[in-house]
Parts: sequence; C-alpha cells; structure tokens
Amino acid sequence: MMRHELIRIWAFALRNLLMASRNIFFVFELTFWPTVGVLSIGLMTRFLRLSPADTSFVLIGTVALSTVQVCQLDVAYAVLYDVWSKSMKHQFLAPIAVRHLTLGSWLVGIARGLVVFALLAGLAWWAFDFNPFRIGGGALAVFLLGCFLTAWIVGVLVCALVMLFGTRAEASAWATVNLVLVLSGIYYPVSLLPGPVAAVASAIPLTYFLDAFRSHFGFASGFASPLARGFGLSAAYILAAHWGLRAALDRTRRSGLLLKMSE
Amino acid sequence: MLAIDAHDLAKTFRTGWPRRRETHALRGVSLTVARGAIVGVLGPNGAGKTTLLSILTTLLVPDRGRATILGHDLAREPGAIRRRLNMASGNASFLWSLRVEEIIAFYGRLYGLGGRALAARVEELLGFAELGPHRRVPYNELSTGLKQRLALAKSLVNQPELLFLDEPTLGLDPDVAIRLRAQIAALRRRRGTTIVLTTHYMREAEELCDEIAFIKSGRLLAHGSPEELKRAIRLGDVIALRVEAGGAAALAGLPGILRTTAEDGRVELTVDSAQKRLGEVLQRLHESGAVVRDLEVREPQLEDVFIELAK
Repeated sequence: MMRHELIRIWAFALRNLLMASRNIFFVFELTFWPTVGVLSIGLMTRFLRLSPADTSFVLIGTVALSTVQVCQLDVAYAVLYDVWSKSMKHQFLAPIAVRHLTLGSWLVGIARGLVVFALLAGLAWWAFDFNPFRIGGGALAVFLLGCFLTAWIVGVLVCALVMLFGTRAEASAWATVNLVLVLSGIYYPVSLLPGPVAAVASAIPLTYFLDAFRSHFGFASGFASPLARGFGLSAAYILAAHWGLRAALDRTRRSGLLLKMSE
Repeated sequence: MLAIDAHDLAKTFRTGWPRRRETHALRGVSLTVARGAIVGVLGPNGAGKTTLLSILTTLLVPDRGRATILGHDLAREPGAIRRRLNMASGNASFLWSLRVEEIIAFYGRLYGLGGRALAARVEELLGFAELGPHRRVPYNELSTGLKQRLALAKSLVNQPELLFLDEPTLGLDPDVAIRLRAQIAALRRRRGTTIVLTTHYMREAEELCDEIAFIKSGRLLAHGSPEELKRAIRLGDVIALRVEAGGAAALAGLPGILRTTAEDGRVELTVDSAQKRLGEVLQRLHESGAVVRDLEVREPQLEDVFIELAK
C-alpha cells in the first residue's frame, strides 16, 4: 500500500521533471527572472547607500521571493499542465488522491527552489557581500523548509482556484504568491503595515520564517516563537488547502467542469 | 452477472450568470450491461451519451439515480470503481511534450504500477497498439491515428474489467478504423473485458456490439440487440426490383406492403416480412406481364433504426 502511495507521488514528480526539462521557458523561470530580481534589487541598495545590514534585510526578501515563487509554480503546474493539455479527466479517472499530485509536484518544486536559492545566494554573496550561508546549515534548512511549505500552501490554493474557475483562474498562479509575499514583509518589517493588513500578515507562515531568518542577521524578532508559529500555521493551512482542493475537485465532478477542462 | 446496473440517472447542467441556463443532459436513464458484453450507446449529437459515460466512469456526479459498477456503489465506492475501469476518448489529449512510452508509464504509475511490472505493461501495450516504432515520439508530433491508438493503449494500462470507449474511431482513416475495431473485438475475446462504446458509425456498432442502447434528449428510447431493435421498430424489409412493362400498379392491394416507391422502372417495396411476401409479389408481377430484371432483398440496417429513432 505504501509502495503504491510512493509510486503515485513519483508519477507526478517525474511528470513535472520531464515537462520542465523540455521547455526553454522553464529555464528562464529558474535562472533569468530570479537573477534579474537579485541584481536589480541589489543595485538599488547600492544606489540608496543602504547599510550592509539593511542590504541583507532586503536581499533575504528577494531570495525568498524567487525561491517561493519557483516552488509554488511547480505545485500549481500539477493542475495547470492538465488544463493546458486538456487531459484533466484522465488523471482523475485513476484512483489517485489530491495529495499525490500536490506532493509529487512539490518535491520537484523543492528541487527547483533549491537550485534557485543556491544560485541567488551565491550571486548575492559575490555581488553584494551578503552571505546567507554564514548562519549555518540548520537555520538555513529551517528557513528553506518554511519557504517551501508556504509555496506548497499557495500552490495548492492556486490548484483549487483553477479547479473552481477553470482557465479564468490561471493568472492566480502568478498573482497569488506575490500578494502573499507582499503581505509577509518581503522587503520591510510587517510592523510597517497598517493595522488590518498587519493582522493578515500575522496569519501568513512566511512572515514568521522571514522574521526568524532575519534574526540570525542581527534584526530583532518581532514575534515570540516565530518558528513554532510558522510551522503551526503551515500545518493547519496545508490540511485546509488540501481539504479545499478536494472540495473543489468534488465540485468540478458535480458541475461538469472537470469534463469541460478536458475538451 | 452485471457489470453495470444503473437506475434513473439524471443530470442537469447549469451555466451562465446571473441568468442561469439549464440543460437537461440526462432525464432518468436506466441501463444494465452484462459482464463480457459489448454495448453501444447510440444517439444524435447532444443526446446525453457522453454524459452517461462520464457518470458511469465517476467523472461526473449525477443529480439523481443510483448505479452499481462491477458490484461497487457509484456514490459510495468511486475509488474501488476507478481501479477496475478505464476510458478512451476519440478526442483524447495528453501532455504535449511527453513521449508515447512516458505517457503510458505515467498513467500506469497512477494505478500503482512500478518497476518491472510497469516496464512489462508498457512494452505489452506498445505492442498491442502497434506503437513500438513511435515510442519516443512526443505526443504533439503524433498523427490523429497514433493519438487514438495511444488513447486505447493508455486505457488498458490497468487491465480494466470495464472499458468505456467514447467515439474510439472518430476521424480515423478507414483502414486505421478497421484495425482499431479488430483490437477492440480482441479485447473482449482474449480478456473478457466488458466494453461500453459510443459511436456515430452504425457499421461499427453493428460489427462490434451485442447490444445497443439508444438515447435521445437524455432518455433511453430503446435497448436490445441490433436484431431486436430492428424488429421492435418494425421498419420492415425492403424488396427492390427493376421491372419492365408494368410494375408498382400491379402490386396494389397486396397484403403486408407498408410502403411503395417507384421511379424509372425501379420499385422499392417495404414489407413486413420479405420471406413471407416475396412469393406473392413475384407471382402478382408475373400475372400482370411485368418482367423482373433485377431483384434485391434488404433487411433494415442499424442506420435505419437510428434514423427512425432520431426522428
């Protein structure tokens, strides 16, 4: 039984991997845009004569943004590939659960996210004297896990939106994650946000992972036990997002959208 | 033993906002399919054939009705049903840059196949669907015929006991369609697979199907073997004659003639039974001095049944 579970998860991981390896645009997604992001933001910190500490604050956000974005897109591709190829009904004709497709796609997202992180961290170190590796492997791994969990949640949410609204919700694959990143204090402390927005920010796990990561670079933490909060929220959202995706899938089976997306 | 036992299935699609439009795709269809049978679901466009197949394959949830598929309740045990059935569509589509063998393997994994078992199944299906030479071709570079064969291969990846084929030979060249039909017939012969197919090709239905279910406007109008349907509809047999000197007028008043058409010496009589009436027709023509130059007796085709029911 466990073997069958793993095989089904691997099916989606391998599919995403094969699709990514055969499309030149995915290479751009992995290298070009993240590199442009770090270079432009890094040069802006030079222009504004930011201190090394402030530069690291901003660059942490830039690196996190690309890492989360790339990983999240892979999870969204779990459904988008089938929408684009109109093959949706074939996979849901098989005895699979939504966890198989999101988990398999997430694993590829993690691999691609790690590549992006390594590339950007190396670039930030070389070009702007910001070394994210100096805090040690443990803290780095926890931060990356937080980024990837956030990406998983957002990706599953996008899958649910595409299930509910079809191709009309396609843009959410790129829009949703940016909204989440803006709200979680990507380039600034969330204390700067107005009251109600700050309350929303405090409900986003990435807010806490960024806070905890930045504390290793000398910034005072704005929250008590940020990692516990971050992982607690992540666990709750992952369960809720999968429940939502399952509910969306059930709805497409009732509305007929599952068939429409396969025509 | 029944593969499908469906009762009163109904489905209405609601579209549009803020003004909702309702399309009643199925209006209470009941259908039974015996294990090992090949059943054709026929009907005009928009009759509800694909909706019925989609419900029976768990892709669509009915608004009303219940069904048992291979002994499992459709509403309560969809997972168990999905393990044992599969489906191929004439207009199937797969991921554009995956290769033929990768597509079969991907769907094989979704059914829990891995390692040597998966490799062996992929090889078997590439051979069955004659896709071996195309195994490394990406999907978007395949011809329509190869895509159809791939769809059929994919649908057999879990060795289904119940196979649904939605327009399996749609748009294929005649020679390719003939080979595909032979492969479908072989499936039942070799594995005892129960097959439910929709088609617009009456010859295909007549050649492959033990039973026909005819659907129109979401309702099941008729269900039975092609012969039973022809009898039930009472289309009659056709006696076609080419006669010289005299003709149709001589046959007036003969019992059993349902319809007569005559043009340029060609007479077509639709009779209740050709076996019963042929002798009387020929005798009457002989008595009237008409010379019969050509004679053909035709039983009604499934196409005639289709046209009659679709009216």
